[in-house]
Parts: sequence; C-alpha cells; structure tokens
Amino acid sequence: MDSNKKNGMTRRELLRTGTGAAAVTLLAGISPFGLVRAAFGEEKAEPFTFAYLSDAHLYVKNINQKFVDALVKGVQNVNDMNPAPDFVFFGGDLAQLGHPDELKLGKEILSDLKPKLHIMVGEHDWYRDMGETWKTLFGPDRYSFDHKGIHFVVLNSVIVKDYWTPNKMTPEQRMLAMAQLDNPKGEAFTVGEEQRDWLQTDLKKVKSETPVVVFSHSPLYKLYRPWNFWTDDAEEVRKLLSRFKTVTVFHGHTHQVLTNRIGNITFHGFLSTSWPWPYAPKGTPELTLQMDRPDPFFSTDGCGWGIIDMLGSGQADKTYEPWNRSPMKVTYEEIASGKWPPAYPQGSSGPSY
Amino acid sequence: MTIKKGILTSLCITALIVFAGYTGIVFAHGQPHSAQDLKLFEMAYQKAVDQGYKIFHDAKLGTTGQSCDMCHPDAANTHPETYPKYQTQIKKVIGLRDMINWCILNPLKGKELAPDSEEMIALEAYITNQRKGTPLAPGKH
Amino acid sequence: MLALKIVFSILFLLVSSNLSAYCEPYKLAIPLGLTEPAIPENNPMTVEKIALGKKLYFDKRLSADDTVACSNCHDPKLGFADALPTSAGIRGQFGPRNAPTVLNSAFYDLQFWDGRVPSLEDQAKGPIINPVEMGMASHDDLVKKLKGIPEYVKDFQAVFGAEITIDRIVQAIAAFERTLISGNSPFDRFFYNSESDAISEPAKKGLLVFRGKGRCLNCHDFNPIYALFTDNKFHNIGVGMDKAEPDPGRFKVTGNSADQGAFKTSTLRNIALTAPYMHDGSQKTLEEVVEFYNQGGHKNPYLDGGIVPLNLTDQEKKDLVEFLKSLTGELPKL
Repeated sequence: MDSNKKNGMTRRELLRTGTGAAAVTLLAGISPFGLVRAAFGEEKAEPFTFAYLSDAHLYVKNINQKFVDALVKGVQNVNDMNPAPDFVFFGGDLAQLGHPDELKLGKEILSDLKPKLHIMVGEHDWYRDMGETWKTLFGPDRYSFDHKGIHFVVLNSVIVKDYWTPNKMTPEQRMLAMAQLDNPKGEAFTVGEEQRDWLQTDLKKVKSETPVVVFSHSPLYKLYRPWNFWTDDAEEVRKLLSRFKTVTVFHGHTHQVLTNRIGNITFHGFLSTSWPWPYAPKGTPELTLQMDRPDPFFSTDGCGWGIIDMLGSGQADKTYEPWNRSPMKVTYEEIASGKWPPAYPQGSSGPSY
Repeated sequence: MTIKKGILTSLCITALIVFAGYTGIVFAHGQPHSAQDLKLFEMAYQKAVDQGYKIFHDAKLGTTGQSCDMCHPDAANTHPETYPKYQTQIKKVIGLRDMINWCILNPLKGKELAPDSEEMIALEAYITNQRKGTPLAPGKH
Repeated sequence: MLALKIVFSILFLLVSSNLSAYCEPYKLAIPLGLTEPAIPENNPMTVEKIALGKKLYFDKRLSADDTVACSNCHDPKLGFADALPTSAGIRGQFGPRNAPTVLNSAFYDLQFWDGRVPSLEDQAKGPIINPVEMGMASHDDLVKKLKGIPEYVKDFQAVFGAEITIDRIVQAIAAFERTLISGNSPFDRFFYNSESDAISEPAKKGLLVFRGKGRCLNCHDFNPIYALFTDNKFHNIGVGMDKAEPDPGRFKVTGNSADQGAFKTSTLRNIALTAPYMHDGSQKTLEEVVEFYNQGGHKNPYLDGGIVPLNLTDQEKKDLVEFLKSLTGELPKL
C-alpha cells in the first residue's frame, strides 16, 4: 500500500531509527487518513459506520404486504441516517420461499438504498433452485472485500447435506422443508469443506494484525440444533480465524438480539425486518442481554435493523434499532469488561420466553 | 329351610355376585381401564396432537402466508400453562383458545376458529403437549 | 396593657390572614369511571387558589395585546377546546397544532401533543410566551404586567402569602385545571355501574368493536377500575406524514427515529364535543376518524406497528361511532 511510504521511507525503515519512532508517533497524531501506525507499530483501522438489514422473508405483494412494507421501512430508515453509513449489509433470507419473483422484488426494494449494498445469501434464498436465481441477481455466494483497513469475508454458511435427492423431493418441497425452522428432520447448516478451503486461501494474504469481519447467515457457533441456530463445522471455521488478533462475526437467521464471544471472536446476531424468533430453550450465550418478549399487537415489535460502528481497534460497537422500542447500544468495551450483561432489575430474572 | 339349603343358597348368591363383578355387570364403575381402552385413548389423543401440529405449521390458517410456527417454533413462547390469565392484548382474563383466535385474527389475518371445533381442540392439544410436564402457573406473566 | 393587647391583636390578624390562605383545602370529587389525578405536593388544591386560577384562565390580559386568554383556545362552551383545526393566537396567527381539551388533561403523564413537559404547571408556561399564541416577550414581562394590577397583587398575597412569580401564576392555573374533570358518562354508567340501558344497543355493539376488531382498546386504554382512554404513550398513525415537511412530533423531544411523527394518544372522553380531530385538526368528524383507522392509517416509514387495516363493515363503523358518542360525560360547573 502506498501509505507504507511516508516521507519517502517505508514503515520498517522509519521504525528502525530512534527518530523514526518519534516521527511515527507524530505522524500517528497528525495523519488523519488511511492506515495510521501508532508508536508500537500496531496497525489501526479507520473508524466507520455501516448499517445492517436482514431476514426480510419477502412473499410476493399480493400474499403478504406487511413484510414488503417492513423492508421498505428499513431501507428508508437507513437512507435517513445522518451522516450516511459507508455501506449497507443485507444479512440473508431476502425471499421467503426462494421464488424468483420474491428475489426480484427484494432486489427492487434494496435498489432504493442510497449507500452501497453488500449482500449475503440465506437458506430461504437458496434452496428452491440451489442458488441459481440468487447468483444471477446478486453474484457469487461467497466473496471478500477490504474497507478502511478491515478485511471483510462473506460466506454462504447454510450448506446442508443433500437429503432431497434420495427422498425424490421437488424443488418446492425441498424449499418448504428448509423453510420450516423447527423441522425435526432438518439437516444442520455448514460452511462445508470446499468453502473452508476457499476461506483459507482468501485469508492467506491477510496479516494477523488486520481486523477481520465475517458475515455469515448461520451463527458460526452451536446455539440450538433443533432450530438450526447452528453451524456444524463451526470449530473448523473458527480455527481458520484463530490466528487473527481481532475477529467479529455478524450473523442473521436468529431474528433476535444475540452477543457471544469464543476465543478471539465476537459474535453479533441482528434483528429481522419481518418477524422475531423467541430465544431457544437452551444455548443462548450468557453475554446476550436478551430483548423483551415482543407484543404481537404491534406488527413490527421485535423487528428492526442495526447500526455497526467499526472502531479504530477493529472491534465493533453495535446499536439495535428496533421498531416500536428505544434503540439499544452495546459497545465492545462493555462486552469485554467482564461485567456484561448487566443484572436485570430487582426481582426480575429477565424476560421469560 | 334346612341348613344345607341355606349354605347352598348363600354360595349361589356369592357366586352370582362374584360373577357379576367379574363381568362388570354390577361393579362396572370401579374397574381400571383395560389395556385396549388405554391404547384407544392414546391413539385418539395423538391423532389430535398430530392434527394440531399440521394446523400449527399451516400457512393457510391465515391469509398472509404466515403460520404459527414462524413466531412459535416448537410452540415456544406460547406458555399454555399460564392460562387463564389477564391478556394484555385483549385487556381481560382469557383462556388459551381465546389467545389462539386472537393470533389467527390479528397477525395471521385469518378467520377465527369456533372454540369447540375439532381444529381448535387439536391446536390446544399440540401446544399443551409441547409443554408437557411444565407446572401449572395460571395468571403468570 | 392596652398596647400589649393591640400588639397581640395585630399579630393575630396578620397570622390568621396568612393562615386563612392555606386553610380551605379543596376536596376533588371523583366522578364514576375515573380515579384520582396526580397532584404535585408543592401545589395542593385550595378553594382560593382555584378561584385565582380560574380568574387567570379567563383573563385576556395574559396575552401581549390583551386579546387571548387560555379560554380562547380552551373554551368551556366548546368542550374546553376551540372547534378549529389549529388555534388562533394574537394578531390572528395560526399555530401548527390542534388545541387539545383541558377536560381530564390532569390524567396525562405528559402534556402537549409531543409530551415535552411533565405537568400542567409547565404546560401553562408555554402558550404565554409562544409568539403565535399569547405572545408575551417573556415570563418576566407577564409577572411585571400582573404586578401592575392591584387585584392580582392582593389575590396572590392571599393565596400564596408572597409576591407574584411565573411559577405561582401557573400553579394557580393548574390547580383550576385539575378541577376540570369529567366522567359519569353513559358509558361509565353502563360499564362501571351495570346500568344495562345506559347506552344504546348500537353503542354496545360498538364497544365490542372497540375492544375487538377495531383494536382501539390497546392504545385508548380502559380497565375494570377506571377509564382514561389513553395509554399515555406516543404513536405514529400516519396523520400529516404526507406533507412535504411533516410535523416531527415526539421525535423533537426524544431524538429517537422511532418517534418520528408520533403523537400522544388522546383521551376519548367527550370526544364528540372536541372536533376536529388529530394533532393537526385534519379530520372533521368521528366517521372520518374511524374510516382513517379502518384504512390502516396513513402508511409511512415510521408507522406504528399496531396500526393495520381493520376491514370493518359499514355497520361496525356506525356502531363504533355510536359508542364514541356515549363517552360524553358530565361537564364541570364553573
């Protein structure tokens, strides 16, 4: 990168000299753009904000208007952000039954977004035609990009073992089976060996000090198998990420507030625009400050979108923007403090699901 | 009457009583259910639970393409053991089936089920079956 | 001895004349269907204070050009509102919002359509210095003006034992407003006193719509003990959101994007007396209001999740309006 050559010296040359160290400190203080190197050679990213919309589950308009209105509302909320976010990320399940009409409708609605859109696939988008329409409309199901010093990876983490061929299922039957969350015969989500290899290759060029963000529809850990709040090869995926100093996973699929930390990785689950899931009977990570039970009288309660502030350290603060409720901000500092989540009010043991 | 005749009569009456009891003619109420009966009860109940499972997962219960399991996978967060209770959406004390109907009418925008219909009983059977073993807690929020 | 007697008499008169200011507490009668309103500890109700507050309420001299009193926009003859979409202040200027009724306003947790102040005392301070309402340059200006009126100097001395301040002015007005409660409507008699013929059959059917298909009860709340017909919360139902620059409502107070275009749930008591309706007075009749909700409000990105199309039949709409008319209570005697 060009910013390596400040004042005609490379970073290494600068640091080798004693005055170089001082110069670097000075530069760190006055240089506002690009990568900033602090006195100890720690790489820092530039802070920025992006928006997260997820799980729209669109039916075509004449079946369900509410989900359409909700996504339109989410798009408008994002467009109203001032200052505008650097980009918007869509976390998967744009369609409900993977129908081309649903996906096209989703693309049309998302095209009204003013900031740049990055998008990810969910199982509801994929399993009607094994991603054919998705790839035509949105491109590859796994890719990576860099932004302001952070390496972003987008995965298709809803790969499941083929059970439809031996059972001679039609595409619609397969889609309906995948669409049922509590399907007792459901196969577990995976990233899969082929994609893990792709990930390993992609990460080869990334330095361990570079903050990494992984977008994944399934959580990349094992929360509750009966609802596929689960990634079966999560340990293998996390092993590939273990050498990095700072890793954050942002996921959808769970339609609820979730926070977790395993090793060097922080995990954040976001709200859906269409409907909320209850917390699982077991497996909800302790770091999660659970959202209160939604009130079904308010058709958008428990739904919403999110804002992520990427910090200079490469860690992330998040703000949930639930409709019908006050925004809820959770900072990385709070999560890492050892005193998170805060105790519930006296006499209460938290929301009961 | 001679003693012999008396004893014979008593024996006959006793035999009659025992026979009647054995066949259930006189003591039918006090009999435990036969294994066959119990199997029938269980099958009929399971049939209702299975029917309830189907309706619970049926997007055609309403008109918006939503089904109950979308917000209540495995009937989670339905709390059937807390009814009757003051329901905040309806602002009075109601039973489980009233809330089922409210959900069908409101989020699902469907037609309410008759409270004594087979479908309603089936839904109640499935929902409560999912919470089997949970202690009763009527009125709890 | 005589000197001592004179001194004691003077002292006695002084003390008793001050004591009498606090001596007649006012006992608020709670009509059927209502409960005790919150009364701040630092502003107890007394007969004299209420009389002073009433005087101030009707006094046009509280405005910059002596033309506008509280009662201009909160007129007892017009349900303590003013039958206009938005209200006219001094020099014929119109504001952006509809004047809410003062009747039962003592039961709101927060005052104004956007809930920006917590008490009737604080509310009264607003219109006094609002340039399109009463238009005084400052509260101090009003205090100075009233200090120039000997009657008021005497009244304030009698009620508060102290000089006129803006806080005491609004305390007196608020004390008067707390007496403006209205209940014992036909609905109250039907619901809380089991008088089965207190409301018509269509109104009874309308009550069922109100509680059921109409989904009204969830925000226009009442319970088995009393009925305020408000949840004291703020909702965007879409009114005014089609304008180029919609009134931000509660958003201006909280800064929460979810509060864009959200306004306080109004009480429905005496609703038949306080047309036109909504924060901008844009709906002229109860039928129009019912139809608005039936359509699912006005769709906009901040629409409250509780507002959905209702699919009411024509008969259900008529019955609902009949029910709303049964909420007209007994008006306070002035």
